[in-house]
Amino acid sequence: MRQFLAVVAFTLLTIGFFAGYSNFGIPQIEPAPPPKEEKLDLSSMTMDQFIALGERLFNGKGTCTLCHNALGRAPMLGTIADAVPKRLKDPRYTGEAGDIEEYLIESLVEPSVFVVAGFGKKGTNDTESPMPDVSGGSIGLSEAEVAAVVAYLQDSGGAEVTVEIPQDIDEEGDDEEEGEAREAVNDPKKLMAMFTCDACHMINGVGGDVGPNLSKIGANRDRAYLRRAILDPNAEIATGFEADMMPADMGEQIYVKELEVLVDYLAGLK
Amino acid sequence: MNRPRHMKTGTRLAIFGLFVALVTLTLAGFDQFGVFAAESESAVDAAASTGYGPAPKLTADDYPTIAGVNSRVAVWVFAQLHLWFAAFVLAVPIFVFIIEAIGMRTRDKRYDDMAYEFIKVTITAYSLTAILGGLLIFALILFYPHLITYLSTIFKESMFYYALLFFAESAVLYIYYYGWHWLQGGFKKWVHLTLGLMLNAVGTTLMLLANAWLTFMMSPAGVDAAGVFSGDAWAAIHNFLWNPINIHRFVANIAFGGSIVGAYAAFKFLTATAEKERAHYDWMGYNANFIAICALLPLPFAGYYLAAEIYAYSQQMGITLMGGIFAWLFIIQAVLIGTLFLSANYYLWCGMGRSDGAKRYTKYIKYIAIVLVGAFLVWFTPHTLVLTNEELKSLGGPHHTILGPLGIMPAKNTAVNLMILFTALSFMFYRRANKIATVSWVKAGNAVQVALYSAGIVNIMFLGIYHGYFTNTVYKVAASIPQVLTTLVIMVVSITLDSFIYRGAKEVGPLRWGRIPARAQYALFLLAVSFTWLMGLMGYIRSGIRQHWHVLDIMRDASPDAFTPTLGYAANVVSVAAIIFMAMVIFVFWIAQVGSNKTLPAGYWKE
Amino acid sequence: MKIPRLLQAVLILAGVYFGFIVVFDVLLDAVIPSSLLAMYMFFVTAGVFMVFTYDEDQTRELVAPIKAMVEDPSKRVWRNTVFVIVPLVVGVGTYQQMQPSFQAPVELRTIHPAPPTTAMIYGKRVKLLELENPFRKLEKEDPEQFGELVNEGAVVYIENCQFCHGDKLDGKGPYAAGLNPTPLNFQDVGTIAQLQESYLFWRISTGGPGLPKEAAPWISSMPVWQDFLEEDEIWKVILFLYDYTGHRPRSWEHE
Repeated sequence: MRQFLAVVAFTLLTIGFFAGYSNFGIPQIEPAPPPKEEKLDLSSMTMDQFIALGERLFNGKGTCTLCHNALGRAPMLGTIADAVPKRLKDPRYTGEAGDIEEYLIESLVEPSVFVVAGFGKKGTNDTESPMPDVSGGSIGLSEAEVAAVVAYLQDSGGAEVTVEIPQDIDEEGDDEEEGEAREAVNDPKKLMAMFTCDACHMINGVGGDVGPNLSKIGANRDRAYLRRAILDPNAEIATGFEADMMPADMGEQIYVKELEVLVDYLAGLK
Repeated sequence: MNRPRHMKTGTRLAIFGLFVALVTLTLAGFDQFGVFAAESESAVDAAASTGYGPAPKLTADDYPTIAGVNSRVAVWVFAQLHLWFAAFVLAVPIFVFIIEAIGMRTRDKRYDDMAYEFIKVTITAYSLTAILGGLLIFALILFYPHLITYLSTIFKESMFYYALLFFAESAVLYIYYYGWHWLQGGFKKWVHLTLGLMLNAVGTTLMLLANAWLTFMMSPAGVDAAGVFSGDAWAAIHNFLWNPINIHRFVANIAFGGSIVGAYAAFKFLTATAEKERAHYDWMGYNANFIAICALLPLPFAGYYLAAEIYAYSQQMGITLMGGIFAWLFIIQAVLIGTLFLSANYYLWCGMGRSDGAKRYTKYIKYIAIVLVGAFLVWFTPHTLVLTNEELKSLGGPHHTILGPLGIMPAKNTAVNLMILFTALSFMFYRRANKIATVSWVKAGNAVQVALYSAGIVNIMFLGIYHGYFTNTVYKVAASIPQVLTTLVIMVVSITLDSFIYRGAKEVGPLRWGRIPARAQYALFLLAVSFTWLMGLMGYIRSGIRQHWHVLDIMRDASPDAFTPTLGYAANVVSVAAIIFMAMVIFVFWIAQVGSNKTLPAGYWKE
Repeated sequence: MKIPRLLQAVLILAGVYFGFIVVFDVLLDAVIPSSLLAMYMFFVTAGVFMVFTYDEDQTRELVAPIKAMVEDPSKRVWRNTVFVIVPLVVGVGTYQQMQPSFQAPVELRTIHPAPPTTAMIYGKRVKLLELENPFRKLEKEDPEQFGELVNEGAVVYIENCQFCHGDKLDGKGPYAAGLNPTPLNFQDVGTIAQLQESYLFWRISTGGPGLPKEAAPWISSMPVWQDFLEEDEIWKVILFLYDYTGHRPRSWEHE
């Protein structure tokens, strides 16, 4: 029995030594906690993670690399910082973007606004792009995913990343809404009524006076200004009016097509 | 007059060979061409029609909390205990088989008795292995239902056959054990040996299957990036890390099993009263230690191979393994392996007292000790030193110009090769201790041995220093392969040469088994405890490098326990598990002894 | 005269202990860390124990004085002295261990942490792996202009860096004594000689706050130099660091 106890004591001592050395003999480094799953939680994402998400979408779900690859089926995207400003000035450019970010978003959902020479659909003389709208169809990138891809394109193309990480976007909810989406409205007057613009803005004697009178807005404001004023109303406030009066979520309610209809209409008011 | 006997042996050999061939063929067919191949074809069709789903994306709600038990620790402890016992019961039949064969060859009954005693003391461990395996699978089903569901959709066939194989394992084991005294002599003995081989074949197959499941979690194969199973079961089994783990576990199991039965012999030696009994257990302890060392020497190489393959599979996993927090784990590992080498050597040196001729060699022991300890100190010098602020100031920064280079691979490779080489040298001295060579070329032979060792040591040191200090970082690990080759060549050549030198050598005197200090038995305990603890620690890192993944890059661990614990935390879990294991092993050994105890209660039974 | 074995063992241990200290602290002028020395001595002791006890007779010889001290009635005074002194020594040792000191706690810190793949520097996202010193190519193409750039870098260094990193670039500037961790010694082969230029650019421009967690950014006093220097000035200072110390920037290309 004495031998048995001695052996037990020896064993416990040995194990105790190993445990003690592991606890006190070496520094205790706390490993970093597991990384957050980026897709589930945009709000806690850093720009690096957001760009990485964009890269994965670019290579994966977005199916971009099917064509934008070394085989030359589509233009390579490594020189965006240099190329986009030139394209914006190109007479063949039919879009409305003012900077690289807008251009990239526009080119993802409306690829035909500018077609790089030689990459257009056959027979259209480079006026129509073979690229699909990435927000629709089988690709179906959400707004946040498009933003991530743009962030990645800006980052990899050498441009400054200006995209902001969208906050509080419930992606699944978005999908459902789009599922039962309303038809786009083509009549600017109906749009004005739908978004109740006339509650505050007066056009040709009809409407309120909380916001500026829009009867002759097309005479001294260009389309880019109008678009921005709708999407980001606080960017510039007309003299004599207060900020934060106009709803800032127009961009989430209005369709791109409708926006264009509305801008066309307003620009024509002279 | 010997001729007929030889012929008879030849016939038996042929029958035995047939058995071996049959078993091998069955296994090979089962493993690669038979069941799984057939299954996988039908499975491909199934995948095309019904289709497998992707790996589930889990949230924290998918992990049940039961009675406040920490699910990770529960699964961890059960898995570790199961693994220890499994390693033990897989290893023992391997060397029982070999010892039995040696006994048959030498016709020395002591070997047969020892083999029987080994299997006798482990018999209870089989049921414990199965019980712990059952507990493990219950814990997995209860705590990680989605993971086990996903794994079992992929491994459904192999899991089913695994369960069936247990019948085969038990049947063979019971016939092997209970038939030991019945299947004696002549043809019966050959049948018995064949049973031993079958036992090993079934046991090894069981291990290979279970290894496939866990290596799948580390290096998934047969599934796409989302975890959708292709239906090819063989691809999932034969994943990238399967064979490296198989080899590493096979070798380590033998060393572990040897060390545990060594501890058994040591305890019996300490408690033995009769001189004859002491001699028997001394001899048994020596053999167990010999088995453990034989498996211990190639183990670092198997470990390097495994680590290299992990790197090759995923550089990120490789960096997690060798850098960051796990870098310190290898310092603990160095301490443990150093302990193993030192205690194994110490046991050999103590054992020299059995022979009267040992005095000729004991004078070299202190030099061996100096090299061993020196190499060991190099081996466990960490790359990042823990410095007090004063030391930091005095050094002018955290980089130590002298000790820094000892922390990197070339120095450590050099150290471990020297340790292995000098352990082999210890063993050679032990073997020579009781013999006097009689061949005419003794002097020349010894000179060659000295030259061989010297050249090898110089080569290992040169490679280590050259690659460690004088080459670009890219080449720093290039030294390891020539170093390992040098070590292996020296060991093989010198052992072969020695066996020629000592052919027909005369003995100094009879080996006095039992003449060994009690301290040496504690060296055997130290070996067993260190090995157990080391296995637990390395189990933690093998599993831990997956970090927050159930199945690497495919199935994420979303449980609250997904974080990687600190080394201290892991060491505590391992220590508690090791204590439980030791207690159960003591029970296993005790129960083996109870069977032979008899109490005669006077006046209890009706006359 | 034969030295008693117990004394032999003690002498060997003391010899090894002071040997380490003499060799490292005095001869090599590179102190051996106390934590490491403690572990070294633990295993040296184990080794000495093994060599002294593998043989039964020698073991008896080794423990004979201890045994005698405990058991021999004639050694009573000796025994009682030891039994008083040993607890006292242990007590004093424990007291000193536990005594609060002014030493800051040891903080394990990775000095050259793995850099991030990209970093925001000067408002741009740069990929550190691909980043190169724009002036490095002039070393071969236009040595004269290169020399001028090095000199300009030297001016930037003297105006900004030498207060801590020293005018000999050895980390012993006038303010160095007040800093913990100490400023990096660029002369040491273990510092900039092991690093790429892009790594230096990252560390200089983002300073202490730019370090990852394992490098303990909260105790580094390196300023964020992109707030004070021009991009070109940092690249020039890097040229100067390598030029003055004679080191070459690390390159992953095989030479």
